[in-house]
Amino acid sequence: MERLTRLTAALLRAAEPVLPSEHRAWAQALRTEAAEVPAGRDRLAWLAGGIRFTLRAAVLNRGLGYPLVFAAVVVGTAWTAWSGPPGDSAIVINRVDVIAISVILAGLPWAIRRAYGSVAHSRSARMIRTAGYAAILVLVLVKAAVERVADAPPNNLAGSAVAWTGEIMFLAVMACYAAAILAWTAGRSPVRLATVMTGGTIGVALGTLVYLLGPLGFPLRFTGWWPTHLYDAGIALGVLLALCAPVATGLAATRRACGSMPAASRVRQGAMAGLYTGLAAALVVAILSTITIALLPYDDGLRNWAVSHIGQWTPAVGQAAPVVGARLGYVAGNSAFAAGYLVVLLLSPLAGCGLGAVAGRAASQVDPSSSSR
Amino acid sequence: MGHRSGFSAQTLAVLAELAATPSRWRHGYGIARDTGLQSGTLYPVLIRLASRGLVEASWEDEQPSGRPRRHLYRLTPDGLATATAALAQARSADPVQPGPRARDRRRAAARAVQWSG
Repeated sequence: MERLTRLTAALLRAAEPVLPSEHRAWAQALRTEAAEVPAGRDRLAWLAGGIRFTLRAAVLNRGLGYPLVFAAVVVGTAWTAWSGPPGDSAIVINRVDVIAISVILAGLPWAIRRAYGSVAHSRSARMIRTAGYAAILVLVLVKAAVERVADAPPNNLAGSAVAWTGEIMFLAVMACYAAAILAWTAGRSPVRLATVMTGGTIGVALGTLVYLLGPLGFPLRFTGWWPTHLYDAGIALGVLLALCAPVATGLAATRRACGSMPAASRVRQGAMAGLYTGLAAALVVAILSTITIALLPYDDGLRNWAVSHIGQWTPAVGQAAPVVGARLGYVAGNSAFAAGYLVVLLLSPLAGCGLGAVAGRAASQVDPSSSSR
Repeated sequence: MGHRSGFSAQTLAVLAELAATPSRWRHGYGIARDTGLQSGTLYPVLIRLASRGLVEASWEDEQPSGRPRRHLYRLTPDGLATATAALAQARSADPVQPGPRARDRRRAAARAVQWSG
């Protein structure tokens, strides 16, 4: 008990520097008064209360809450992605991924703060940042789970130059996503927060719809007249919505900006709204599809469903690799090569940006107030 | 859950304890012992009261023999007036509030009312 008490006192003393200067005297008082508390349980409880007080004061007054949560999540992600059977070449890529993404996500806020200021004083801004970071980490995690199976012997794809090139591109794209999320939610963001919120919400809905229509990226196969035609109608609606969603968010953002911004800035608001719609949709599609692929080797029900609706399940030697019949190209692209993720992650925001900009330009020309500027 | 006075039951207990002998300097452990509050609860309360100018804090001037210097607390004139008003209000209100940790709050509020009366 005495050893534990001494350890707690030492911890309390060591933690004092993290407190704001105006609180240090209080922490010191609490620690010195421990000498008057009866030794044993009471003194230990007194010091433990001091640790609680110190942590709370540090988190509340020094904004340490988010960094602490981020550090805990990164440690959890690293711990999960780090493991794997010996000899699995995918482990090297997964470890590089986790280390690189942790450094990128930890360092970017500092770089973005210099250019665009701290996070905007808004609960929505914090929520978008948290959700964006969580989405990126989840994608890294499930990608690691997929590659642990797909790159394992006899495939050994992780050793190839193509795989490494794909990894580097994947990390670069993730860095761009994180930078965009941080910049748009900063105090001096060039984009209105309402625009980001609208684009993000519609993008998440669109991404979910696209995933539901093709969970593994391919059209589903149905038997019977009604299911087939209903599904075809759903696909047509999905394509229509995929084209209309960035246009709608671009129009909404431009209209919202009308009267308060020059025409060029309004077009930019439209483009950014479309871009954010595409970005959010791409993240959702990539995460949900990758989770599905990651579950395939372990979930019999899902695998049977995939066999009957998509193609054939062909386990590789010694491994239940997710190879689905004629769709080998897609599965390989999504499960073995990081470049497979890039198709959706790269094209979707770019397409959204283009469509949003067109909508913004059209709305700007229609709006009479733009001509006076 | 706060009282109508705007103070929590724990804060009222501390105010009552300090208001019982307003001119006397008290130390943290003494207040904790008499109110039954844990250090992790007491110190945030003291900090809040001090930042609102209701409590003044000071280290003992001289180093006593056999123990470390104490950090001492007492109510300011403003603090005494506020404590008196808040405790009177607490006495007239129902101190028992439903919800989590109700027993702790009841105990602290009962102490606050008892000492202020």
